[in-house]
Amino acid sequence: MTLAARAMAFLNGRHFVVPQDVKTVALDVRAAVRRFQPMLISEHLSWSSAGGRHANDLLPLPYTEEALAHVSARIGIVQDRLGRRILIENVSSYLAFECSHITEWDFLTAVAERSGCGILLDLNNIHVSAHNHGFDARGYVEAIPRELVCELHLAGHTRVTAGNRDLLIDTHSAPVAEAVWDLYRVALERFGPVPTLIEWDAQLPPLAELVAEADRANAILRSPRADAA
Amino acid sequence: MPPEPLGAQPVTAPALGTAPATAPALRVLQAQVLDAILPCGSHGSDGSDGSLAREIPGIVGGDIGSARRLEVYANNAAANFLESLRLGYPVVRRLVGEAYFEQCVREYRRTYPSRSGDLQHAGTSFPDFWRELHGADRYRYLADVARFEWLIQESLTAADEAPFDFARLGAIAVHDYNRLRFRVHAATRRFASPFPIQAIWEANADADVEPPVIDLDAGGDRLLIVRAAGGIEFLRLAEGEWALLAAIDQGAAFSAAVTTAGRAAGEFDASATLQKFVLQGVIVDFTIETERP
Repeated sequence: MTLAARAMAFLNGRHFVVPQDVKTVALDVRAAVRRFQPMLISEHLSWSSAGGRHANDLLPLPYTEEALAHVSARIGIVQDRLGRRILIENVSSYLAFECSHITEWDFLTAVAERSGCGILLDLNNIHVSAHNHGFDARGYVEAIPRELVCELHLAGHTRVTAGNRDLLIDTHSAPVAEAVWDLYRVALERFGPVPTLIEWDAQLPPLAELVAEADRANAILRSPRADAA
Repeated sequence: MPPEPLGAQPVTAPALGTAPATAPALRVLQAQVLDAILPCGSHGSDGSDGSLAREIPGIVGGDIGSARRLEVYANNAAANFLESLRLGYPVVRRLVGEAYFEQCVREYRRTYPSRSGDLQHAGTSFPDFWRELHGADRYRYLADVARFEWLIQESLTAADEAPFDFARLGAIAVHDYNRLRFRVHAATRRFASPFPIQAIWEANADADVEPPVIDLDAGGDRLLIVRAAGGIEFLRLAEGEWALLAAIDQGAAFSAAVTTAGRAAGEFDASATLQKFVLQGVIVDFTIETERP
């Protein structure tokens, strides 16, 4: 079992390290961890509140030295409180900040190296963000150090029009896209047989369709090269 | 290969640590983003249609534009908020209809925006909203329906409790009973209304069945919402039972609680009522004062 925080505010707080706040959240999580004893615990590389206002969504960070220090420190607090390592997951994003002077893959790696956390690599999120921002998804995967990745996520997304272009939105409401299966093979070649979760939690299909997706993931996990497109 | 690039973000970035001297502080960026996507900002969106996010500086817009990119987040935040309310208030939603419900949630969110990282708290003040909106007209029972649904939500998500420790109670001398302070189960909520809210709730809980007409003057409710193995249950309370439990819940020692309940209900069997509450799992624990008052 894995415990995946969704906007549980590990990394939120008001705007800067607010030890009281993050420690309280960590204590709540610690109670859940004691009860359910998950194999892995993860939280997203994102923020959702500032100044007491909450978006209750996974908002992207600016990839700056300031944000890197902030996030790494907070992950450190959570890991100290839990007494164990957590994983940090890349999110889908629809906007980027002009002040970001670090790539997302370098930022994610630096967060892991500074805080000692592991990485949960969401391959659909990489695909979605690569499309929305125009970077190379495969290059992202290949830039992440092998030893840091402890879990992979797969999911489906939705395409919406935005003027004469389109945006991909992470909706967990569709089959895993072929491009994401391809990325999964790349990731398995690089990181080895890492525990994998398919996220499909909206507009659920018949069970057989979900099982077929899981079977496909299992088959690729066993031999990444076998059914390569 | 990735699809055609859409944004204007450089694919290669300078090495770590070469921050531009003009980078705005993280807190400034965060405040600007929330101003742009939340209804509480002075120029923010309310998520009610497709074009309400505000342009802010510092976003890589590319061909898509920063307003459209922010709008994704504005719509997500509005949709998540609405969904939390839809799930928490299915009976209010059925009574007023989907369209009016959504309009009211948008209005509610402007007055009571999310103040918690836990979306389950989004509906905390929804009963107050209905009281402000319809508290003085023929729909004033809606505020009580909302309060009833909120208390059910609170009960469903409250902590578990260990069973009552009868052996520990057995070790208390009988003459010390009056000094006991009992504690009510965390998932228990008292609910009273001049309207037959439980009947309204039950008639509308199944969305597939046409509800019967309910007479609003058929008598009110005074009941206890409890969480049982099979879900939520309602226990109707006599006047003395309500008064005793209210006093206990407010921290009164048992003797004081009995006095209060006796004043409210006259003839009243306090020990039988206490026994019933313990057996029903309504009372789960006790402390004993170490000094006599």
